[in-house]
Amino acid sequence: MTAEGTEALAPRILEYLAGRLPGARELALEDVQRIAVGWSHETWLFDLTWREGGAAHRRGFCLRRDPGNALLRHLSSLADQFRVLQCLEKTPLPAPAPYWFESDPAVLDAPFLVMEKMPGRCPSPWGRDGRAFYAAAAKRGTLPASFTATLATLHTLDWRAAGLDFLGVPAPGTDFARREIAKWRELIAVSERPPEPILTDLIAWLEANAPASDRVTLVHGAYRTGNLLIHDDRISAVLDWELQVLGDPMYDVAYVLSDLNREDTPLLSNLVEREAFYRDYEAATGLTIDEEACRYYDALYTMRSAAFWMSASGLYATGRSDDLRLARTAWSVPVVLERAARELGY
Amino acid sequence: MTHAELLRRIAQTLKQGVGPAIEAEYPKTQAFMAAVILQKLGRELELEGAHRAAEATDLDALLDDLRGLLRAGETPGGVTAAVEGVARARDAAALCALIEMLYASRAELGAARFDALLGRVRQTLRASIDRRLDSAG
Repeated sequence: MTAEGTEALAPRILEYLAGRLPGARELALEDVQRIAVGWSHETWLFDLTWREGGAAHRRGFCLRRDPGNALLRHLSSLADQFRVLQCLEKTPLPAPAPYWFESDPAVLDAPFLVMEKMPGRCPSPWGRDGRAFYAAAAKRGTLPASFTATLATLHTLDWRAAGLDFLGVPAPGTDFARREIAKWRELIAVSERPPEPILTDLIAWLEANAPASDRVTLVHGAYRTGNLLIHDDRISAVLDWELQVLGDPMYDVAYVLSDLNREDTPLLSNLVEREAFYRDYEAATGLTIDEEACRYYDALYTMRSAAFWMSASGLYATGRSDDLRLARTAWSVPVVLERAARELGY
Repeated sequence: MTHAELLRRIAQTLKQGVGPAIEAEYPKTQAFMAAVILQKLGRELELEGAHRAAEATDLDALLDDLRGLLRAGETPGGVTAAVEGVARARDAAALCALIEMLYASRAELGAARFDALLGRVRQTLRASIDRRLDSAG
């Protein structure tokens, strides 16, 4: 979406909000910006000002729209994201408050949701500035502790009382791992990319070695710096509710431990010392980190990464997207396959 | 000028001439991405002949070794058929089918033969992925 696209969209957003706030007068949008986060949905931030009952109001909003052709399109529904945020409102986990979900594509050409714009920033851990930000925060120590404490809150919240069981409750045993394998296998199938023998080997290995687990918690699915909003040196909100499931919390722990999420540093997610993470996470959750399960899930993340990149490059190759960033990911596939080969011992 | 050199030149033009002249962030990123992709395609074109020959040689060696391993003991018919499938098709899909058949026949093959057969396939896949990384780099 270009700058012109944002300009054209702003009056339509305003019209929608006017309908949602019937008592509001003199509505105006300020500081409208499309932010470049993720490849699965388009995201805009803006402030709305209006007068109501003789008083002036100002509130920040975040709008996410489903472009219909992006990464994870058929695995990540905005309706589900909205429902998850509604459920999380009743829990201690910091997350944006959901305001409205609109499924009618006539309003903004595609379904979208509107949620609270929370204070804070979300530096990308992949850029030089972001790495410097997290390195400095690591030295201060407050943000790393908040990172671990927030994950512990996520894993100890009462998901059943919050109504999150609509996500699907895995049966005890290997059901959780098998569900994840099936999900990413489906994404690979719809990507229409050529078959990859190393990936076939990895999937067969994952199926043959699925760990049994009777631990069931809410699992974010992508808990790392870059998906967490930071304010006053603490995590102010957990973002990117696209991959969440109910299942083994070690799936999130494995993601934190994974070298997929750090560059040129031993700090987990570019932020947390490994020893401190183990100590604080186990103390806060009462869970013992299962290293064998984490190693398995790390291999599962390799499969997921391959599925992401095959899907992304497939979107471009089949003409469903014109975004050359997606075409570029075709060369990320062999990098991930090489990681799989190493994990399988060759 | 070879096709690979031509692609590298175009990539350089996109990166140093076209990209910097674009103000809007999205098309600027697209120009840069186009340059990166053309560079990678150029590298692939450059190495394509050598890599194709190496793949063929490796596949012949793999088939020889697998047939030798199969002769060493009683083998499920599905595994033998999958190996001959690779010999006929000589492609990734046939290799995938062989890997799936090995896992499906693991109990019948026994751990040692399974490891030997899959290990030999993996040796070929390792060489292949190293070549692809060389191109992708």
